[in-house]
Amino acid sequence: MKKLVSLACVALMLFSLAAAGGCGKAEDVIKLGWMGSLTGDQAAYGTCESQTLKLLVDEKNAAGGILGKQIQLICYDTKGDAQEAINVAKRLCAQDKVCAIIGPNASGQCIAIQSVLDEYHISDMSTVATNEKVTVQDGVLKEYNFRVCFLDPEQGRIAGSFVYDYLKYTKAAILYDVNDDYGQGLKDNFIKVFEAKGGTIVAEEGYNGGDTDFTSQLTKIKEANPEIIFTPIFYQDFINIHKQARTLGIEVPMLGGDGCASEVLFDAADAVDGSYVINHVSLTDPAGEDFRAKYAGKYNGAKMELNGYMAYDAFLIWCAAVEHAGSDDAEAIAKAYTEVEVEGMTGKIKISPENHNPVGKSGCVERIDGVNKTYIFETKIPTE
Amino acid sequence: MGIGYYLQQLVNGICLGGMYALMSVGYSLVYSIMNFSNFAHGGVIMVGAYVGYYALTALGCPFLIAFLLCGVGSGLLAIVIERLVYNPLRKRHAPSLYFIISAMGASIFLENFVIASIDGTPRNYPAVFANSISIGGLSLGIDSLLMIIVSAAALLILMFIIQKTKIGLAIRACSYNERASTLMGVNGDLVIFTVFLMGGILAGFAGILYGMRFIVKPTIGQVTNKSFVAAVFGGLGSLPGAILGSLLLGIMEIFVASWNSTLRDLFVYALLILVLVVKPSGLMGKVTEDKA
Repeated sequence: MKKLVSLACVALMLFSLAAAGGCGKAEDVIKLGWMGSLTGDQAAYGTCESQTLKLLVDEKNAAGGILGKQIQLICYDTKGDAQEAINVAKRLCAQDKVCAIIGPNASGQCIAIQSVLDEYHISDMSTVATNEKVTVQDGVLKEYNFRVCFLDPEQGRIAGSFVYDYLKYTKAAILYDVNDDYGQGLKDNFIKVFEAKGGTIVAEEGYNGGDTDFTSQLTKIKEANPEIIFTPIFYQDFINIHKQARTLGIEVPMLGGDGCASEVLFDAADAVDGSYVINHVSLTDPAGEDFRAKYAGKYNGAKMELNGYMAYDAFLIWCAAVEHAGSDDAEAIAKAYTEVEVEGMTGKIKISPENHNPVGKSGCVERIDGVNKTYIFETKIPTE
Repeated sequence: MGIGYYLQQLVNGICLGGMYALMSVGYSLVYSIMNFSNFAHGGVIMVGAYVGYYALTALGCPFLIAFLLCGVGSGLLAIVIERLVYNPLRKRHAPSLYFIISAMGASIFLENFVIASIDGTPRNYPAVFANSISIGGLSLGIDSLLMIIVSAAALLILMFIIQKTKIGLAIRACSYNERASTLMGVNGDLVIFTVFLMGGILAGFAGILYGMRFIVKPTIGQVTNKSFVAAVFGGLGSLPGAILGSLLLGIMEIFVASWNSTLRDLFVYALLILVLVVKPSGLMGKVTEDKA
């Protein structure tokens, strides 16, 4: 009798296992995870990323999916919080068993989820995390962290070649916050490139974060008579410096990094008119017109943010990696990331195996049109 | 670097100093009567800057109206603070340390009140006077010019009130000896009311001028730290001292910054310590007691 019961049990177990296996086959999909801020300060960024991915996944599925399978996109909110990002990463890896993750947009969250990725051997492709430590920390490469955006120091190099090669200016002044790593990195790389090309830094002035009066430094800069002022700072100081420079009679344009690109600039539209900002992509680049129209059509005329472009490129390279690997195995995809090359929204993307950063990406420079309160696409500059 | 360069820096220094002067007079006025440093003054200036911002943007007022509204708003706020915070302490004859701590509390309260009720995002004034005039190679922003004119006019009116009117006489009497003056029939409450009202109005003017030139955010009250240094440097309690100290501090700060911009704050606070150690009464101060 006992034997019979155990036999029956075994039979039952076998049956349920087969049934479960059958179920698995029935929903044979490739699972892609996304995480980012859907609430909090950066909600606008995350919302745009997830909506872009939904749009792209729907399109891809309608066209037959990938490797003959449909893609299932799973999105979670990190609330802009590093701790929450870890929880979300665990859920994606352990519970949903995704084959790869796209996002989050902030460096702090990307750095936080590293241990989870390492534990589950699942890769993450970050969108706009520009801090160096996202992929390499203390000289050690993070095996499962990747990104599609360029790094902070590269902007300095872009600035250098924009001023010298594109604008053909040879005399530049610099005004930056001496206490800020971001600005320091941009400044050093700008000087390196600009001087190597033959340009001269006629004035290099600093200030302490929190200062509001820049007249002293600007008067010195005016005396040095530069053709442009490089300002690797954030948008609020960018506005103040412009206002004070204009009242001091300084009419030359200024050039800021991605920290300056903001709609807030148009509060001081007259003062900032004619200056330039570097960005990852032009929000008015004609090449992105189709994409913007499609997005606006699907989401009630919503405006495309920078993050949408970055999510677009992250998705493209993920598709390429899956096809290259020929499977949805997480390890194989992580390996394939450094072997594929795609033509993305923000230029050609090839991830370096040494540091998991994209190689030779272009930066885009936009001119501020204060009259119409908009950015005008100026040019693309490669980082090397 | 030609003479034009140094003149331009001098002009920059006077503009900066003019703004410090508008702020530091408020400190000195209160100090001269009540013998404590009213650190809530920075909060009053900040609220003035917000009043100006909303008057210009949400209400769409012309500049002059917005300017006057700032004076009224900050003046009222200063009186409210006096009534709610300092008056009860005064009635109990609390030591001046209590006043200082309450003032700091009021200042932090105002800052956080604005963060909670509006938000912490910096705001930019609409361009009211964005142009500049050029005299012999010197560039002077209309806003800077306005700042100097307004500072000078407001301070002259203040000096007139203090030197030539009856309430001014009462203020001067109280600043020598409050208890003796009140025994002689001076209305001490009225004097204090007037002092806070005048200090508040000037704070409102300083607020809108500061906001116009720089930015509005809840923490701008902290810039008054430097005007406080200017007041100590000139001699706390002395109005001409506060003005002289402010102008000198502004000019020195600009020249230090033009030499090495990272040293500017180091210089300002080193000067504060030096003055307190070597000559606590400042350039034109009257007493050498505690300067808190």
